[in-house]
Amino acid sequence: MSASPTPTGAYDLAFARWVYANVDGGDRMALCMQCGTCSGSCPIGAQMDHGPRKLFMMIRAGLKDQVLASDTIWNCVSCYNCVVRCPRKVPVTYILHDLATVALREGNAAAKASDNARFGSAFWWSAAKYGRTDERLVTAKYYWSFGLGGFIKRGMANQKIAMGMVKTKRMHIGMPHKVKGTGELAKILAKAAEIEARNHG
Amino acid sequence: MTNPSGSRTIMVVGGGISGITAAVEAAEAGFDVVLIEKTPTLGGRVAQMNRYFPKLCHPTCGLEINYQRIKKSKRISVYTMSTVAKVAGKTGGYTVTVKTKPRHVKPNCTACGDCAKVAETEVANPFNYGMNTVKAAYLPHGMAFPMRYVVDPSVAGTPEGEAIKAACTVGAVDLDQTEDSFDLQVGAIVWATGWRPYPAANLTAYRWSDLPNVVTNVEMERLASVDGPTKGKIVRPSDGAAPKTVALIQCAGSRDLNHLGYCSRICCLASMKHAAYVREQYADAQVDVYYIDLRAHDKLESFVQRLKRDPQVAFIKSKPSRIEAGENGNPVVCGENTLTREIYAKPYDLVVLATGMQPSVAEGEMPDLGGVDEYGFIFAEGEDISAGVAAGPLDVSMSVQSATAAACKAIRAVTTAH
Repeated sequence: MSASPTPTGAYDLAFARWVYANVDGGDRMALCMQCGTCSGSCPIGAQMDHGPRKLFMMIRAGLKDQVLASDTIWNCVSCYNCVVRCPRKVPVTYILHDLATVALREGNAAAKASDNARFGSAFWWSAAKYGRTDERLVTAKYYWSFGLGGFIKRGMANQKIAMGMVKTKRMHIGMPHKVKGTGELAKILAKAAEIEARNHG
Repeated sequence: MTNPSGSRTIMVVGGGISGITAAVEAAEAGFDVVLIEKTPTLGGRVAQMNRYFPKLCHPTCGLEINYQRIKKSKRISVYTMSTVAKVAGKTGGYTVTVKTKPRHVKPNCTACGDCAKVAETEVANPFNYGMNTVKAAYLPHGMAFPMRYVVDPSVAGTPEGEAIKAACTVGAVDLDQTEDSFDLQVGAIVWATGWRPYPAANLTAYRWSDLPNVVTNVEMERLASVDGPTKGKIVRPSDGAAPKTVALIQCAGSRDLNHLGYCSRICCLASMKHAAYVREQYADAQVDVYYIDLRAHDKLESFVQRLKRDPQVAFIKSKPSRIEAGENGNPVVCGENTLTREIYAKPYDLVVLATGMQPSVAEGEMPDLGGVDEYGFIFAEGEDISAGVAAGPLDVSMSVQSATAAACKAIRAVTTAH
């Protein structure tokens, strides 16, 4: 996929048009009438910096950098309340998730530094490598993304929880659990990447 | 230009303000008219208003004039409790099968009300949208046309039915009436089948079904009417108390692809009227209007401006996402204010949903018509002639204009050779 264009001024629609054409559900986003149902339906609407409705207006206003640096695209909990209620049938959830992908791909600093991006990358590493999420490794990898100091600090702070999980057999010690055909899984993922590149290339 | 072979009679289906207008306009131009109405009385949705635009008249006023025109015309035959079951033929030569339901009261009824005095069974009152009940022998409303009682079929064949029959001093009650049907030959048909309020129960996030203090705009009209369930006092349905805070929610169903994909056009001004009703009755009441965009159209802009100057009427740019049950089951309106980005949850004594207009075709009681759009509105083009809200969401004055135009089209249809 080509990188998104950077608007040259306020209300330059270059970025908005790119989103309409390239982001999953972006074509429906063009129909947004700014009613506020999405942000009002959101269980964490008050915690997001902008909320989906305002974010969509920011896309139209050409505020690309602020959009890609927004925490709204990372904090969506995929409850789909907004998608069900949206009077224009805008698939808000898809759009937010795909914008998060765009932000990472284009190397937005705020996006890369966000908690959810760090955790998502650790989660995906484990899922792709083992076909399972190994709590220890995902957590360790996530903590490691903050550097050695951050790793130690977070590890110490959560020691008690970890021990409790081991005791109640919610977290195991030993080799990571794997699916049987990790080689087959790798082929499936490679194929998926190929299809994605073909569809969005 | 003449049509010697075909029928010159014009059928108008629907006896609301549009159908009545089309019928009297055609009759006064010298054409025979058959007016078919589904309910026991003419007047339609306008009769159920407290007041209507553009001049905030009571419906009795506009209906009175039109009823006079019907009575004075020898060319109009009115069939109430009748629906169109089948249409065959084409312009100039239609055969229409009309189905009638039993009224159980003959035309010699004097509307004295003796039958209602002996009736005991209570039935849901459609005039008040089911907010109260009426006796099983009832006059549909004070401005009924024809001014004739109805006996509900549920009491036919019961001792109560016999008592009702015996109470009638002119022998007008006939409990043996059954459903009937007959054919009429007409040259043109004007569909003035009107609308129904979009069912508020479908708007699950707005809790109309389970929160008593959430009502619809049409229910609000009845609450404000002197002949309504509360004798014109706007009160909370749950406890009859005067509301101190009222929320009016626009686009409840309209402009929503999950419900009505179009703007119903009338609701913004109707809600302005409701804000005025509340403020007239309660000097201390606060009214909040929740809207996406106000689409109160041009000629009544001054009415909107008057309300905007009222410090106790606030306009909040937001489509509420949901209504929750708060203390004492009172509605709490939740959403995002799109100008300030505040996420609000505000309790109200009374919430009024501005539900939109859905064409009656959606109720599925109509014969198959060719020119119906995806929402059920009837095209004005081609052989099907439509008037008023059957053609699209219109207010009363636009419906009347549309009905006059429809009468002209019908006249042209029956006077042109085929």
